[in-house]
Amino acid sequence: MNPKQLASVILMSFIGIITYVGQIVHQKVESMKTAAQVAIDESKAADDAKQLADILLTKTKGETDELRRFLKSWTPSIQKVQTEQEMEAAVEYTLRERGISLVKSRKSETKTIAGDLFMPKLIIITITLEDEYAKVLNWLGDLEKRLPLARVIACQLTGGSSVRQIQLSVTVENPIVNLSASVGNKEAPKRS
Amino acid sequence: MSDYLCHDFKTPRNDTSRRLPDSFKAIPALFYLALVVTAYFMTMDWRAYKKAEQDKIQAEASKGQHETKTKDLQTEKVGLDAETAKAEILAKWMEGARNVQPISVAIARAMPTEVRLSDLSLERSDQVPANLALSVRINGGSLREVGLMESGLSRLQYRSYAPQQSKEGDVIQYRSTLIRAEQ
Repeated sequence: MNPKQLASVILMSFIGIITYVGQIVHQKVESMKTAAQVAIDESKAADDAKQLADILLTKTKGETDELRRFLKSWTPSIQKVQTEQEMEAAVEYTLRERGISLVKSRKSETKTIAGDLFMPKLIIITITLEDEYAKVLNWLGDLEKRLPLARVIACQLTGGSSVRQIQLSVTVENPIVNLSASVGNKEAPKRS
Repeated sequence: MSDYLCHDFKTPRNDTSRRLPDSFKAIPALFYLALVVTAYFMTMDWRAYKKAEQDKIQAEASKGQHETKTKDLQTEKVGLDAETAKAEILAKWMEGARNVQPISVAIARAMPTEVRLSDLSLERSDQVPANLALSVRINGGSLREVGLMESGLSRLQYRSYAPQQSKEGDVIQYRSTLIRAEQ
């Protein structure tokens, strides 16, 4: 091989190397372009997901606004009576306020509602008292006003020891509400 | 003229090596062309690479921001759902916790002075706490008092379901389930 041929071979080799390197670089650029496009697509998908979440949130806010305001308005009443002692105190206060002294019997107990995280306990008070008709019914009204969450589960009015007197036997249950409980998918609560 | 003058340089000489074929003369031109073209494409590729790299970084940052925001929105929605669930439970409870004192008063007020209520009982249903089982014994009354009592209850949005009444002498025994009428 003479020097001219050798020079030609070397130049051709250079051309080959340059072309090869050019191709490699081009492939890398193409792969980077593809990666960038994938990232852009993913970003758009994330943006769509964000918009969807925003729409759902706005919809939920609109649909549940009334209920949430309801809960908010009842929160002070819920926080007012959270123990058996507080409920006893409320009963005591209303009796004292109405001047009813003849309480024939009084019993209180706490029931646990298994599986209910929001209302895990119920305080049940059964009270039997006797006094004038107006006093007794006003006391019942006071009690229901003072314990707005309480549920009168039984109420019996019968004649008292004299014509002017009536006897009232009432059973009231008040839930202990745990506002911080995480209420989600839970089993149906069972009373124990 | 000197005899030593030499004119050999101007005399045609045979090549020391054989000439390349004509087509091979294009090789240097091709080499330079390859250099120029490659330089052009490399420059364009480099710029495209940088732009794609920048786009990728921006897209990834934007995706991260969107995902964070989505997560925040979802967390807020979960909070709202939990709050709503609590409110629903409370509303259901409150539906069965309506005051019974107005009912007792309405029944008592419905009775004329000559009639006496000897027994009044209200019991909340276990299954549907909004419903109340009412039992009343009226001494010296008639069906008129029952009608007055029912109209008094209807003013409180309650209606009697399956009322039963029996009369034994002067005593009327009345039983029914009080259901609150929907507003």
